[in-house]
Amino acid sequence: MSATRRQRSRAPRTLCAHCGLEVPPSLLREEEQLQFCCEGCRQVYGILHDWGLDGFYQRVERSGGRMAPASVSGRRFEDFDAPELLGAEVLETERGAHSTRLFLEGVHCAACVWLVEELPRALEGVISVRLNMANAVAEVVWDPEQVSLARIARALDSLGYTPHLRRRGTLEHVRRLEDRALLIKIGVAAACAMNIMFLHGALYAGEHHGMDPDFERFFRWMSLALAVPVVFFAARPFFRSAWAGLRQRVPHMDLPIAVALGGAFLFSGVATIGGEGPIYFDSLAALVALLLGARFIQQRAQRRAMERAEGLRSVAFVEFARRLDDGNVALEVPIGAVAIGERVEVRSGELIPVDGLVLSGTSSVDNAVLTGEPTPVPVGAGDAVFAGATNLGARLILETRARGAETRVGGLLALVEEALSKRAPIVQMADRISRWFVGVVLLLGVAAGAAAIWWRGGDLGSALEQVIAMLVVTCPCALGLATPVALTVGLSRAARRGIFIKNPDAVELLERVETALLDKTGTLTVGTPKVDRWEGDPQAIDLAFALEAESAHPVAQAFLRSHAHPVRVVRAVDEAHEIPGRGITGSVEGHGVAVGNEALMRDLGAPVPAPLAAHAAELLEAGLSPIYVALEGEVAAVGGIGDALRPDALATVQALAARGVRPRILSGDHPAVVERIARELGIAEEDALGGLTPEEKRDFVEHAIRERDAAGGRGRLLMVGDGLNDAAALALADVGVAVEGGSGASILAADVVLTRPGLAPVVELWRGSRSVLWVVRRNLAFSLCYNAAGATLALVGLVGPLLAALLMPVSSLTVIFSSVLGRSFGATHRAAAGRLKATGGA
Amino acid sequence: MEVIFVLLPLAILIAGVMLALFIWAVRSGQYDDLETPAHRILFDDDHPASEGERARPDDADEEREE
Repeated sequence: MSATRRQRSRAPRTLCAHCGLEVPPSLLREEEQLQFCCEGCRQVYGILHDWGLDGFYQRVERSGGRMAPASVSGRRFEDFDAPELLGAEVLETERGAHSTRLFLEGVHCAACVWLVEELPRALEGVISVRLNMANAVAEVVWDPEQVSLARIARALDSLGYTPHLRRRGTLEHVRRLEDRALLIKIGVAAACAMNIMFLHGALYAGEHHGMDPDFERFFRWMSLALAVPVVFFAARPFFRSAWAGLRQRVPHMDLPIAVALGGAFLFSGVATIGGEGPIYFDSLAALVALLLGARFIQQRAQRRAMERAEGLRSVAFVEFARRLDDGNVALEVPIGAVAIGERVEVRSGELIPVDGLVLSGTSSVDNAVLTGEPTPVPVGAGDAVFAGATNLGARLILETRARGAETRVGGLLALVEEALSKRAPIVQMADRISRWFVGVVLLLGVAAGAAAIWWRGGDLGSALEQVIAMLVVTCPCALGLATPVALTVGLSRAARRGIFIKNPDAVELLERVETALLDKTGTLTVGTPKVDRWEGDPQAIDLAFALEAESAHPVAQAFLRSHAHPVRVVRAVDEAHEIPGRGITGSVEGHGVAVGNEALMRDLGAPVPAPLAAHAAELLEAGLSPIYVALEGEVAAVGGIGDALRPDALATVQALAARGVRPRILSGDHPAVVERIARELGIAEEDALGGLTPEEKRDFVEHAIRERDAAGGRGRLLMVGDGLNDAAALALADVGVAVEGGSGASILAADVVLTRPGLAPVVELWRGSRSVLWVVRRNLAFSLCYNAAGATLALVGLVGPLLAALLMPVSSLTVIFSSVLGRSFGATHRAAAGRLKATGGA
Repeated sequence: MEVIFVLLPLAILIAGVMLALFIWAVRSGQYDDLETPAHRILFDDDHPASEGERARPDDADEEREE
C-alpha cells in the first residue's frame, strides 16, 4: 500500500458523474477522471457522451431536478416488435409512419423531457418523440422501414428510461375525452358569461340613466340567446348529478345549484319574453363557468396523481419471460404465452416471472415482495419459487407451475382489489352541509315568497320574483367552491412536495388519526441490508471488501452499499470461491482471505478470539447477523450485517407520538428483530408486532377497524407501507400511505403515494391535511355568512338582480383568495421538513 | 345608435369564431398536456451542427403535426 494511493482514496467524497450521488469507495477507479456510482450510470453517461447529448447535465442543473441512479434493464424488447401489436398498441399514420405510447420509468424533471425528445437526432428513423412529464408517457413516431420499435425501446432503456407499452383505448382514452368535453363546456360557459356580463353592464347603466326601450328589449333578448347554450349545454353535468342524487334520495351538492340555475333561467326567460321583471342571466352564466372551472382544476390534480400511480403499477409486474425451447434457446415472450410446464430462464438480478419449480441452478432469491422479509432465501433444484421474487444469485431454469393471476402474487393482488372494493365511501364535509343546506334554502325560498305576499301585500308575480332572487343570491356558488378550491390548492402543493394524494378523502380522514401502523422493512428501515459495526484488524476488513467485490451474492451487495469504512484501495483479487450458505474464500494480493458466517469459520477450523466473539454476541443482541473475516486461517475481524433504520424514522415516530398518534409496527420480519427496532424508536413492546403474513396484516387492520366501529370510536387508522405484503392492509386502513420506492401494488392500494424518500413526508402530510381542512372550514364559514346575509336581504325584499350579480362573484372571490392564501403544504412545512431532516442527520 | 343592432350580433359572431377555434384546439389535443410545454419552451437548441438535419422537410412536417 503506497502512500500516494492511500492519500487518493482518502480524498473528499467522490460524486457520480451521472446522478451526483456518492460513489461507493469500492467502485472508485483510480485511473479514471470521471467516477460512477453504478454500472447503469456509467453506461448512460457513455451513451449520452457518444450521442453528443451532454447538454442534459446542464439542464438537470438548471431545472433543479434530482437525479436517481440510472437503472438499465438490459432487456431485448423483442416482444415490442410483435406483429399483433400493429393496429392495437401501434398505430399507423398516413405516410407509413408508426406511432405508439410508451410509459417511461425514471422520468423526474424537465431535463428528461429534453433528453427523450432529442432521440430522433441520435437514432435514424425516429421521427418524433413527445414526452408528457406529468404522467411520464411518451408518444413515439417512427419509420418502420428504418428502425424497429425494439431498437427504440433499447435506446430509451440504455438512457435509463425503461419503456413499457401503454395499452390504448381503455380508461385512459375515456378520461382524456372527458377532460376535453369538460374544457369545451368551460370555454362555452366562460365565453357566453363574459358577453352576457357586457350586455348586463349596459342594462344596469341604463337603469340609472335611462335607456331606449328598443335597445333594452334587444339587449335582454341577446342575453337570453347567449344563456341558452350555457344552461342547455355547459350546465348539463349539474342537472345530471342533481337528478341522480334525487333518484337515490340523497340530496346532492348540485341540487341547489340545479334548482337555482333552472329557476333563474325560467324566471328570466319569462321576464324577457314578457318584457318586464328582472333577469339573472349574468349571474347564472358566471356561476356555471366558475363551478366548471373549479371542477376541472380539482379533477386534473387528482387525475395526475392517479395516472402516475397507474403507470408505476404496470412497471411492477413482469410482462415478459425468457422461455426455453427444446434446443435450449431462450426467446423473450409475453408472460401470457408461457404455458404450464414450459421452461423459463431467469438470469441473475431479474424478477422471477412465474410461480415454478427450480429445475437447475443454485441461487438465492429475495422474497421481500411476498413476505416483507429482507433476508434472501437459498434455493436449489426442486425448490419452489414465486413470481415477483428477485433472483439474486446465479441463473435459474424453472418449470412453470402458475402464471399471471394464478400465481401467489396474483392472489395477493386479488386480495388488494377486494379490499379496495369493500371500502365504504366517506361523506365529505361539503356533502354533509349540503344536505341540510338544500332544505334550508328551499324553506327560506318559501318563507321569502310568503313574506312578500302577506307582510308586504304583494301579488304572486312579485312573490315569485322574491323567491328567485332568494335562490340566486343563496345559490351555493361559494359553498360549491369552498371545498374543491381549497383541496385543489392543497393537493397540487402537496404533489410539488412529493406527496401525491390519490384519494382526497384522505385529507379529511387524517385529522382524526389516532393510530399509525408502520411497516418495518422498506418503510422504517431502508429495506436493503448493509454491513456495519466492524471490529478487528482494518487490513483484514479491507481485504474482505475487495474479495466481496468479486461476488454478486446479496451479502456482497450489502458490502458494496456500506460506506462506513472510509479507506479502500483497489486490490488484485487472484482467486474467489463462493460457498453457498457459508460465504466466500479466496486470495487477495497473496493473502488467504475468507468472509462468511460462523459455519464457514468452523469449516475452515478458524477459532474466533474471545474479544471478537464478545462483539459478535453484541451484534446479535442488536439484531445484526455477524460476518467473520479470516486472514490466513485466523479470524481477524467481525462485522454485522443488517437492515438500517431510515435516518428520519426516529424523528417521524417521535413527531407522530408527540401529536397523540400511537405508532405501532406491523412486520413480516422475525419478532425479535421487530422488537429491537421498536426499542430503538421508543415504541412500546406490545405495539411491535412481528412475524405477520400479508393476510394477517390485512386481518389485523380489518379487526382493528371493526372493533373501533363496534365501540363507536372515531379514531382513524393510518397505515404506512411499501410492499405487496402491505398492500391489502393499506387498502383497508382509513388512510394508506405508500412510501417512495414502494411496490406497484402498494401504490395501487394506497390513498397517498410519496415520491420523496424517507418518512418525513408522512408528518408533513398529516400537518398539511390539517391546514387544508382549516382552509375548507374557513371557506365554508365565509360562504355561509354571505348566504345568510343574502337570504336576510332577500327576505326583507331588498335584493334586486344587481345586488345578486354583485354578491355572487364577491363571495366566490373571497373563497378563492382564502384558499390560495392558505398555508397548506406551504412555506411553514418546508421549514418543518428541513428541521426534521436535520434532526434525523441525513 | 341603430348601428348597435348590427354591431352587437357581429361582436358575438366574432366571439363565436374564437370559441370555435378554442374547441378545435381542445379537440386536436392541444390542451391534453398542460405541464410539459411550459418546460419545453425553455430548451434552447445549443446544437448548431444539427440545423441541417432539422431542416429535412419530412421531419419538420411531422413535428408540426403534433
